[in-house]
Amino acid sequence: MAAPRSCVLWRSCGRGWWRATGHCRLPGCRRSWPWATLGTRSLSQEKRAAETHFGFETVSEGEKGGKVYQVFENVAKKYDLMNDIMSLGIHRAWKDLLIRKMHPLPGTQLLDMAGGTGDIAFRFLSYVQAEHQRRQRRQLRTQQNLSWEEIAKKYQSEEDSLGGSLVTVCDINREMLKVGKQKALDQGHTAGLAWVLGDAEELPFDDDSFDVYTIAFGIRNVTHIDQALQEAHRVLKPGGRFLCLEFGQVNDPLISRLYDLYSFQVIPVIGEVVAGDWKSYQYLVESIRKFPNQEEFKDMIEDAGFQRVTYENLTTGIVAIHSGFKL
Amino acid sequence: MATLLLLRSLRLHRSLRPRTRPAVDVPLRAGSHGAHLLYPDHIPTTPLQKMLLAAGAAGMALYNPYRHDMVAVLGETTGCHTLKFLRDQMKKDPEGAQILQERPRISLSTLDLSKLQSLPEGSLGREYLHFLDVNKVSPDTRAPTRFVDDEELAYVIQRYREVHDMLHTLLGMPTNMLGEVVVKWFEAVQTGLPMCVLGALFGPIRLRTQSLQVLFSELIPWAIQNGRRAPCVLNIYYEQRWEQPLTALREELGISPPPKHIQGLA
Repeated sequence: MAAPRSCVLWRSCGRGWWRATGHCRLPGCRRSWPWATLGTRSLSQEKRAAETHFGFETVSEGEKGGKVYQVFENVAKKYDLMNDIMSLGIHRAWKDLLIRKMHPLPGTQLLDMAGGTGDIAFRFLSYVQAEHQRRQRRQLRTQQNLSWEEIAKKYQSEEDSLGGSLVTVCDINREMLKVGKQKALDQGHTAGLAWVLGDAEELPFDDDSFDVYTIAFGIRNVTHIDQALQEAHRVLKPGGRFLCLEFGQVNDPLISRLYDLYSFQVIPVIGEVVAGDWKSYQYLVESIRKFPNQEEFKDMIEDAGFQRVTYENLTTGIVAIHSGFKL
Repeated sequence: MATLLLLRSLRLHRSLRPRTRPAVDVPLRAGSHGAHLLYPDHIPTTPLQKMLLAAGAAGMALYNPYRHDMVAVLGETTGCHTLKFLRDQMKKDPEGAQILQERPRISLSTLDLSKLQSLPEGSLGREYLHFLDVNKVSPDTRAPTRFVDDEELAYVIQRYREVHDMLHTLLGMPTNMLGEVVVKWFEAVQTGLPMCVLGALFGPIRLRTQSLQVLFSELIPWAIQNGRRAPCVLNIYYEQRWEQPLTALREELGISPPPKHIQGLA
């Protein structure tokens, strides 16, 4: 990555003026030189161009999207394997808990944002399918006096095994969606899935179109989290639920130290050995530290217009599920 | 006007560059960016990370021999003492010192392929090209050094990697598993790098019994003999010797021709 040099310059010089020096010194940097032509007026009046964090680096907001895209493009093929190794399989429990908390009923329209490889979507489909079957069985049991013709009709009709449920998997990254689609085929999920390429900050959906919006381990990679939350609010139907599964801050100091040690010493090594990519996994663990803590994120969700916002810490705060309603 | 201010700011900034870690860094967090990058692609690592990397790389390289990057990582994380010794050896030799000074790189962009093609048959350049063609390899597949925490040593290991193909040419070994193990034995004796020693000792695990027989009876003794006889191969300025006939270079280094044609094995 060409960015390392520039971040040194950002950190040591607070003023916006130094930006120009940072970028011009990097070989092969793509940025042109707008500042040189602005003259002295630019020194005092120039608004500091928007900067944000990319892990522990500081980059411009425009760059962050591209860099995050590259990270996920690189990790897509080994994403699931790495998740299993890094979390020792615990991520499966976290995702199961999310679906259990959601308790979707057949007929739910779910938007799974940053759903990439489809973990949440497939769990949702299995859950609603099981719920639907349970309901049908319950219904059959109560209907004691059906004639055999009616029973035969029930078996013959092309029943939708999902009861009208649909999950739209939306992700900004093509590679992640490709992996997800392949997984769907491998696991036999044929119905109830829609795959959409889209940006969380600007969703390609109409207002009030989904019952539930989930984003699992995706929102910390979004450049403008508040915009993503506003979009979530927009596309949910009134009464709809927002659910976010994301890494949080650990309160317990001992666990926090162990967690830090594991994150920074071990995870990039695993990334290098298994996936041949140190830097992507370095970014992933750094981005967790940069994400607001559970309380701050709760406030951000409330700012976007959600109500009854709560959060639940899992695994001593390593992960948290935030929930809010559009009322 | 803007450019004057800019130049002044550049000069000022160079003197202000911080030597300390940024406040965000906690001792447990080894950042991979910041003021302590010694060369592009450098990833600073703590001793714990180096140990984990070495162990993981060794395991992965054995599990999947096609992961050449793991062999490279193993070399970088385990080689710090040996690299210092090699660097000192290079400094003592005049040709080696010249290499350290000029830092030549063997890559497709630095090689003049048409010139090499025009050289007479039997010269080092032609034989090297022939080797690249037959084995379908390219000098650009060498991963850049990342985990060595010294800039000169990073070059030494990079040079070692790029010279590896030259060794294949000199020893006449193909790039299949058997040929690689033989070259590793030669390199282990020559350089003493822990990665070469480990590769030499554990590489044969992945070979067939037939190849193992040839390996232990003929190839390894031959490789060890040549390795001891030849001067340090890192001290040869190959880029200046393209025209030299291969047989002459072999004589100079004391490398005898390979004992058996092993293309069909491994």
